[in-house]
Amino acid sequence: MQRRQTFLRHCALLGICAGMLLPFYWVLKTAVTNENIYAYPPRLLPASPHLFNFVDVWYFIPFPRYLLNSLIVSALVVGCNIGFNAMAGYALTKSFPAKRAVLLLFLSCMLIPFQATIIPAYLITSKLGLLNSYFGLALPLLSTIVCIFVFKAAFEAVPQSLVDAARIDGLGEWRIILRILLPLSKAAIATNVVLAFIWSWNAFLWPLIITRDPTMQTLPLGLARFLSYLEDTTGALYAFAVMVLVPSIFVFLMAQKEFIRGLTSGATKG
Amino acid sequence: MARAKTDDFAARGSGWWQRRRTRELALVACFLLPSLTIFFLYRVLPLGWNVLLSLQYWSPLKPARWAGLDHYEEMLIYDEVFWQALKNTLIFIGASPFAIALALGIALLVNGNLKGAAVYRSIVFLSYPLMTVAVGIIWRWMYDERGGIINFALRESGIIAKPIPFLQSFEWALPSVIVAEVWQVLGFYMIIILTGLQSIPPHLYEAASIDGAPRWAQFMRITLPMLKPSLFLCVVIGILNSFTSFDLVYIMTNGGPGHATELLITYIYKSGFGQTKFDYAAALTIMQFILLLLLTLLANFIAGGNAGSLEHR
Repeated sequence: MQRRQTFLRHCALLGICAGMLLPFYWVLKTAVTNENIYAYPPRLLPASPHLFNFVDVWYFIPFPRYLLNSLIVSALVVGCNIGFNAMAGYALTKSFPAKRAVLLLFLSCMLIPFQATIIPAYLITSKLGLLNSYFGLALPLLSTIVCIFVFKAAFEAVPQSLVDAARIDGLGEWRIILRILLPLSKAAIATNVVLAFIWSWNAFLWPLIITRDPTMQTLPLGLARFLSYLEDTTGALYAFAVMVLVPSIFVFLMAQKEFIRGLTSGATKG
Repeated sequence: MARAKTDDFAARGSGWWQRRRTRELALVACFLLPSLTIFFLYRVLPLGWNVLLSLQYWSPLKPARWAGLDHYEEMLIYDEVFWQALKNTLIFIGASPFAIALALGIALLVNGNLKGAAVYRSIVFLSYPLMTVAVGIIWRWMYDERGGIINFALRESGIIAKPIPFLQSFEWALPSVIVAEVWQVLGFYMIIILTGLQSIPPHLYEAASIDGAPRWAQFMRITLPMLKPSLFLCVVIGILNSFTSFDLVYIMTNGGPGHATELLITYIYKSGFGQTKFDYAAALTIMQFILLLLLTLLANFIAGGNAGSLEHR
C-alpha cells in the first residue's frame, strides 16, 4: 500500500516535471537546429545539431554591447544593494525615534509595485538628467525592502554578547560592522547578491522606458528588438534566448538555497 | 589602577552617554538615508505625482491645466479599451486561484520524505528566476502554428484537425498567455506553500491519527487552516502579477489581437509612452492601484480578516 502510493507520487511528479521542462527542451532543440524551423511536422530531435546559431547571434546584433550594458547595470545594482540594504538593516536593529514610522513606510512601499510608478518615475529620472545612462537604469533597483529585512534578521541573530565584548575591547561602530556583523551574515549577503542579480538581469519595462539610445540598451531589450526584426529567419533568436537564460539558471542552481530563503523570508517575515 | 578607571567612568558621566547616543542616532540617520531616498523617489513620490497628474491636463511641452475628474470620466464612460483591459486584468487575476490550487497539489506531493523531492522541487521552481522576455519568446514559439510543439501534439493526437493560431485568435490569446504566466510563477507559489507546510507542527497530525481522523479530514481541518497565511500571500502575489506580467504580454502579443490580451499595465504603457498621454496614463495607474488595494482587502476579508497581520508578527 505504502509502496504503491510512493510509486504513484513519483509518477505524478515525473509528469509535472516533464511538463515544466518541455519549453526548455523545445527552445534548446530549436536553437541547435539548422533546417527550416517552420517545416511541418517539426522534428522532435534535431537532425544534425550544431552551434552555428549561437555564433550568428554575435553577427546579427551588437550582442557584446548588450552584454556589457547588462553586466555594468547588474554590477551597480548588486554592489549598491549590499551596501545600502546592510546599512538600512543595521539601522533598523537600533532603537531610534520614528522607528515605527520608518518600518511602516517600508512595509507599505512593498505594496506599491514598481510598474505602478512608471510615469512619474520616468519624469523624475528625466528631471535628474539620467535618461540613457547606466546610473538611471540602476537607480530604482539600488535598494530592496525584502533584503533590508533579511539583513536585519541576520544582524539580530548575532549574539549581543559578542558585540558588547567587541565594544569593551574598544572597537568602533564601523569596525564592529565590518569585522563582526558582516562576516557573520554571509548567508544574508549571498541572498542579496542572488536576488539583486536576478532582478536587474531580467528587468525589462524600466530599460524599455528610459533607454532610447541603442548603445545603452540591455540584453532583454536586445532580445525584444531581435524578435521584432528577425523573427522569420533561423533558430538564432532561440539561441539568443538560451544564451540570456543560462546566467540566471546558473546563478539559481548555484545558490538556490539562498534564493529561496530570500524570497520566502521576505514573504513570511515581512 | 582599578580605582583610577572607576573615577574615569564617573567623570565621563551622563555627558559621555549623551554624546554616544547622539553619535549613534546620526549613524542610524546616515545609514537609512540612501534606502529612504530611493524609496521616496521611486515609490512614495510617484504615487503622489500620479494622483496629481491624473487630475491635470498635461503633456511634456505644455503647462499644466486643472482637469478635475475629466480623465476618470473619459475612462469610465467613453473608453472601451479601458473596460476591455480591466476585464482582461480581472480574468488574469481570476486564474491565479487555479494556479495556486495546482501549486498546493504539487507542494503536497513533494512534501515529506520522498526520494528525489529536492530535485522535483528545483525543476518546478526553475522557471521562476528566468528572464520573462525570454520566457515570452519561448512560449510564442511553443504556440506557433507550424513549428510549435503544442499544435503538433494536438494534431498528432487527433484532438484538432487544423492548427490553431493561438496567439492570433481572439478567444485563445488570453488563455494562452495565462498558461505561460502560470508556468513561470507556479514554482514560486509551490515554495511559499511548502514553507507553510513545514511550519505545521507534526504533533497535530499525530493527535489526529490517534483520534482516527481520515486523511482528507486532516487535510481539511489541519492543513488548510494552518496554510491560510501562505495561501493569502499567494493570492496577493497573484494580484500583483497582473502588474508584473507586462513583459510577458508585451512580448507574446503586445495586447493583441485587437485588445484581446490588453492588460491595464500594457494599456498604461501604451497611453503614456506610445501616445504621450501621461496624464491619462496616470489616471489609469490610479485605477489599477485602487483595484489592487480593493482586491487585497477582499482577499484579506475572505481569509478571515487577520491574514495581512502576518507582516507585523
